[in-house]
Amino acid sequence: MGIIFSNIHDSSLGELTNNRTVASLPFGGRYRQIDFVLSNMSNSGINYIGIITKYNYRSLMDHLGSCNDWDLNRKNEGVVFLPPFATGDMGVYKGKLEALYSAVHFINNPRYDYVVVCDSTVLCNLNFRPAIRHHIQSGCDVTVIAKKVSEVPDRKSQFLIKANNRNRITEILIDTYVRPDTYEGMGMFIFSRKVLMEALEEAYSKGLTHLERDYLQRKFNENTIKLSVYAFDGFVLDNQDIPSYYANNMALLNKSVRDGLFKNDFPIYTKVRDEVPTYYGEGSRITDCLVADGCTIHGTAENSILFRGVSVAPDAQIYSSIIMQGTKVGRGAVLECAILDKNVTVRDGTVLIGTPDHPVIVQKGETA
Amino acid sequence: MILAGGQGSRLTVLTENTAKPAIPFGGKYRLIDFPLSNCVNSGIDTVGILTQYQPLQLNEYIGNGMPWGLNSSNGGVHVLSPYSKSASSEWYRGTANAIYQNISFMERYHPANVLILSGDHIYKMNYAEMLASHVNNKADCTIAVLDVPIEEASRFGIMSADENCKIYEFQEKPKEPKSTKASMGIYAFRWEVLKKYLTEDNEDSNSSNDFGKNVIPKLVADGRRLFAYEFNGYWKDVGTVSSLWQANMDLLGENPLLDMGEARNRIYSRNYSHPGSYIAPESEIVNSYIAEGSTVYGKIYNSIISTGCLVEKDAEIHNSVVMPNAVIETHSIIRYAIIGEDATVHAYAKIGDDPEFYEKNRWDIAVVGREKEVPQKKILLPKEVY
Repeated sequence: MGIIFSNIHDSSLGELTNNRTVASLPFGGRYRQIDFVLSNMSNSGINYIGIITKYNYRSLMDHLGSCNDWDLNRKNEGVVFLPPFATGDMGVYKGKLEALYSAVHFINNPRYDYVVVCDSTVLCNLNFRPAIRHHIQSGCDVTVIAKKVSEVPDRKSQFLIKANNRNRITEILIDTYVRPDTYEGMGMFIFSRKVLMEALEEAYSKGLTHLERDYLQRKFNENTIKLSVYAFDGFVLDNQDIPSYYANNMALLNKSVRDGLFKNDFPIYTKVRDEVPTYYGEGSRITDCLVADGCTIHGTAENSILFRGVSVAPDAQIYSSIIMQGTKVGRGAVLECAILDKNVTVRDGTVLIGTPDHPVIVQKGETA
Repeated sequence: MILAGGQGSRLTVLTENTAKPAIPFGGKYRLIDFPLSNCVNSGIDTVGILTQYQPLQLNEYIGNGMPWGLNSSNGGVHVLSPYSKSASSEWYRGTANAIYQNISFMERYHPANVLILSGDHIYKMNYAEMLASHVNNKADCTIAVLDVPIEEASRFGIMSADENCKIYEFQEKPKEPKSTKASMGIYAFRWEVLKKYLTEDNEDSNSSNDFGKNVIPKLVADGRRLFAYEFNGYWKDVGTVSSLWQANMDLLGENPLLDMGEARNRIYSRNYSHPGSYIAPESEIVNSYIAEGSTVYGKIYNSIISTGCLVEKDAEIHNSVVMPNAVIETHSIIRYAIIGEDATVHAYAKIGDDPEFYEKNRWDIAVVGREKEVPQKKILLPKEVY
């Protein structure tokens, strides 16, 4: 079975997640972040999936519907929403471990021996089948899916691990600067169900909340669990904050990134909206853009991502920007390094200029 | 009941191994999407699709009808192919015979009225209004009609109707048309009347079992209550290569003849999972439709590029229709052509040409068939089919 966290990193994406979960944050022209992990699970034959939600999950429920578009509308399996199970002695959860405890009745299902637990902010095209096979063969309690660090960026990582040549984890580092010869966790873990159930009972009785720190690292340091790493060698886009969200959208203009994420035999699904193809008018000048269906374009756009149903008026100029679904850009407007949320109206002649590190953000439904 | 049986032989290579209603249209649609979506938008929830020619792709496309909202447990969409019966087994022998062979299907739903549609017409229409007028007129049969220019009238079934729209005469493809009201091939029948006339038509060995040739003239001759329902919107029969091309071109422009984008009466289709289309820096696109999943490096003018196509650098496409998943390689030039689904046009090929350089009878749309590969540097003249 699969478990997906929809809210855990909400606070890091600022205005973009004011009214939605990180899972339902639009990405890449026509997707929501959760489409990637959900499609990966569906394509890997994981058809019983719990989505742990906390708040603001209306947009997520609207997006997923009956999950038909992900081929997860099943008779006996399918997707189950797991809202907070807040009772008198337990409030709304703080960490992943606590969140998982609130789903304990869902997880404790004897039909499933393994549980794949995933964040929704790490975007990749990953087949879980070989990872689960790896987990079973390793004989370990938990397998961490991680990407080998190839070049060392100057930033912190939530979860770094070192492993020996038999893929056994030898060190866990949390919230530290990325260093060479390590693997960076992708927020995806494979548990044997019994191990996870024991962990959740223990966490509940001891008041532990943080999955990586309070469980994985502590137990590892106590030498009471065996951990294995499954190294993923495909493209990974990790939307940790607004600059990385912006950069990762822009990365889709790169053919190798697109080819790594979108594969015909392992597709990323999303909600079908029955939009018409995009119309390029007489005066349109579109260069180096990713354009979804349903747009009407008369102006200029360069190095940008246009979501479904965007309209660009004549003489409007859009550079290096992300324009979400249904947004209208007026005549003569100039946008550079901007993120316009859904259904924004940009008045004629408006100028909005940001930088890649600090893109201008216009919130959903506003007029600029 | 959607008549989708036709081979569409006038569409040449485009229907070599697929049924006509499965032909791609407008970048991401197929012909069958139009009557199906019209049905759904008109509140019709039980639909039969009658087909007997190469139904594989059509069956797969329709599936359980989910993309059109027709996956209901009571009714929904059914693909009806000919089947063997205890006494006999036969193919559909004509439009009326196809419906006749499915009387038992219709009977299961106890219909008051049955709507007969064609699977190869491009139009948006609310059948609910037509059915309302059918019921108000207490009609036995209501036929949707379109005003056509008198010089084209001899290609159609022509109705003569009085001021109350009651039909008193019907001529099938007349040499000297008496009216300009042309049948659109859309019939609303009272169920008992349909059943009676289909049964009688089947027993008549002289009949060619066709609605236009036999059933409708018989109703008129018997003095039944036939009414015309006038339709004023866009309608196109796409039975030929040039009409299919023209209907695609009618989607383009600032004020297109057929506006697919309006929120009312949306046309639904089965959507495959493609990312957005990537438009490269060296590309140029003017007055064109480009569907998702396409990658464009070349130049595109007044054309329709369907889902999943690749147009390489320095390729040029003018006034053409490129169907899904086609590949247009570098330096090939395509003018006034239809490139079939999954076809590949290799580099430096030249396909089709402008009409102005040719005598009228020697020019037509050039066609590359489904899954065909046009070799490098091949020249395909207008009207030619590969």
